[in-house]
Amino acid sequence: MGVLKDLMQAVRGGANEVGEAIVDANAIRILEQEIRDAESAIASAKQSLTRMKSSEIGLKRDLSTLGADIADYEQKAIAALNAGEEALATEVAERIAELEGERDDKAGEQAALNEEVNKIHAMIKARERTIQKNKRELDKVRTVQELQRATESVSRNFAATGSKGHRVSQALDRVKAKQQNWQDRMEAGEWLESQEGVDDIDAKLKAKGIGASGASAGSDVLARLKARQSG
Amino acid sequence: MTLDELAFRLNDFDGEEGTTFDALVTEQDILEVTCSNNDEFPIHVTQTETQILAVTPLFNISEVEPDNIEELNAIFLRLSPAVPLSSIGLQGETYILFGAMALSTRFEVIAHELEVQAENTIDVLEAVEHLLA
Repeated sequence: MGVLKDLMQAVRGGANEVGEAIVDANAIRILEQEIRDAESAIASAKQSLTRMKSSEIGLKRDLSTLGADIADYEQKAIAALNAGEEALATEVAERIAELEGERDDKAGEQAALNEEVNKIHAMIKARERTIQKNKRELDKVRTVQELQRATESVSRNFAATGSKGHRVSQALDRVKAKQQNWQDRMEAGEWLESQEGVDDIDAKLKAKGIGASGASAGSDVLARLKARQSG
Repeated sequence: MTLDELAFRLNDFDGEEGTTFDALVTEQDILEVTCSNNDEFPIHVTQTETQILAVTPLFNISEVEPDNIEELNAIFLRLSPAVPLSSIGLQGETYILFGAMALSTRFEVIAHELEVQAENTIDVLEAVEHLLA
């Protein structure tokens, strides 16, 4: 059974009080025990595989020796027949039959061994799936525990200040004020930059003697005033 | 990356949108991150064997006007899929905004997620502010 259902039952049972363990410690122990069991089963399965591998190597060697012996005796039997040694050929043929019987037994053993090896591989895969599944389940438990830990310290603060509702609104207002402030400063910065651009152009014009310079402005004003006096 | 390493790198980092971080590992071994785009609701970062969890506690159930709780829950359920990179949930009696990342997540991606979560916090709270007591 998945851990999530356990968690939900714990929550319904009111086990979500701050600081209270939300997850049944037994459930965790069972998951951990299953992981350990699966791991030790895999370890012993791997040992069996090693033993089987050496049996398999032995069997293969025997089979190839038997095959070579049979081929050898067959040639000899033919040679005996060619030499007209019928009795000797019969004896060799009996030997061949004996060897073939032995070969078939060994081949049967090898087939059984192969089947066993396949079974063990399948078992290891199944155990590995159990381990992965349990680890995922444990991670769900860990996630819930960590969420609880990460939330707990602050919710204590919520309680400590004793403030309700407005706490959030006030905080939001402060954040928004800061963002506005930052926005204003950005805009001020942009304005300043654009002003510096204007000053730059004025300075360039002045350097080339183009546009109103301070001195000519004074004489212009004087000329204007004189014009008004005479008018 | 341990929480200490993450804290060290965050303190030294400027986000693409000019966000900076204040990060410290608390005595309870939780990384508390304050983003410059939202310094009122810090993000609490912690780890499991496979995940990095980023939790922003929003408010307690007791801070919601009792008659509004159903409406609030419905809004949160509808809102959650629309919030980028973060989900909304209930941990114990506290509403939280949270994000989960694989342990192998690159630092720049973690920083971006935190930046977005800090931003999401403001958006989400604005959406339900009127339902609080």
